[in-house]
Amino acid sequence: MNLLLVVFDLALLAGLIGVAWRCLASTDLFRAVVLFITFGLLLALAWVRLEAPDIALAEAAIGAGITGALLLVTLERLRVIIAGRRSDRPDTVPPDPSGPGAALQALHDPPPEPRTRLPALTFALVVGSLLVTTLWHQPDAAGLEPVVDAHMDASGVDHPITAVLLNFRAYDTFLELAIVLVALLGAWSLGRHDRIPARPAPGPILPGTLRLLVPVAVVTGVYVLWAGSHQPGGAFQAGAILGAAGILLVLSRPRRMPPPPGTLLRLGLGAGVGLFLASGVYGLLAGHGFLGYPPGWDYPLIILIEVAATLSIALTLVALFIAGRPEGDDRP
Amino acid sequence: MIANTLTVLLILTGLGFFAAGTAGLLRFPDVYSRLHALTKADNVGLGLVILGLMFQAGGLADVLKLLLIWALVLAAGTTAAHMVAQRTWTHGDFESDR
Repeated sequence: MNLLLVVFDLALLAGLIGVAWRCLASTDLFRAVVLFITFGLLLALAWVRLEAPDIALAEAAIGAGITGALLLVTLERLRVIIAGRRSDRPDTVPPDPSGPGAALQALHDPPPEPRTRLPALTFALVVGSLLVTTLWHQPDAAGLEPVVDAHMDASGVDHPITAVLLNFRAYDTFLELAIVLVALLGAWSLGRHDRIPARPAPGPILPGTLRLLVPVAVVTGVYVLWAGSHQPGGAFQAGAILGAAGILLVLSRPRRMPPPPGTLLRLGLGAGVGLFLASGVYGLLAGHGFLGYPPGWDYPLIILIEVAATLSIALTLVALFIAGRPEGDDRP
Repeated sequence: MIANTLTVLLILTGLGFFAAGTAGLLRFPDVYSRLHALTKADNVGLGLVILGLMFQAGGLADVLKLLLIWALVLAAGTTAAHMVAQRTWTHGDFESDR
């Protein structure tokens, strides 16, 4: 039985390396994106084999699903931009190699033949040997598992991963939420968004399926969020599921979606970080340390922060997919 | 014992369907016949795998969750196949249009 598992692991590893190599070596961007999504799904399987279902869920939902959708929509936008550039210039002047369109043009040309592989090879060897040395000297210990187990009763939740993410190492999670928000601010600062260049499929099939799937996705998202307190799940996974439902809605009816009210949208986007920060500052002032919870309040506060974070993550992912501020929103 | 045997049998049969569908995806000449191979074989294959897993489920809740997964994949797969076919119908073969 163990031999079979070893064979499976080796096949999985070979698949991961093979897909990663094909993804990087592919000159066709669409193929590279599809391979990237495949890589994410295989990586989720690897996390399952490493007995880390939380990371597997996050990797499948965010790494493969949402990032794949973001890459695909970026590719479609690039294609529209390049086609626009080309039709502006009917006479086929070769693009100025230092001009603004050159980078986009280069995306579609095969890369030049590498003159020598020596620098890359040296670099790979040095980094590889460093990694092997580091791994060699890893102490064969259980890591932080006993420490977390010993303090579980102080965390307010039953699932060790949630306890680490929202209590013991709340700082990391707070900064992750902030990074997601900053990414959106970056996208918004680039200006107002163009219409998504997707062509909604005609016919009743897609809207009908969405009518079935979106409520199921909402229920699943809330369930995953709720499950986070005692089994794998939590804000990031739930936010990704809800965000995926939102992206499906945006994709299927890009013209008929009413723009959300700006104030409400901003409140929702900032809710996770804001609530986390408020709770953290209160903890600091009340003498429990920054991001510490008052005794007895840890469970309700964690649930509250998780709910707000889920809402913010879902909204942010949809907003990143749409890219740019909503139309008709002229505020700075 | 009977449950385990049934699970192994059902999952092996399901894997056979997956293999056939993948072979069709790789070997068939155009988009429509590839979709035909993929959707039919995969839906039956997944159904058999899910049925096999149901014999290992811990209770009614697990059985229902497995059923839900099957239904969701059926709905999503059918819709995706329909959209690929529709795009091919209106815009021509995907590779020839690039």
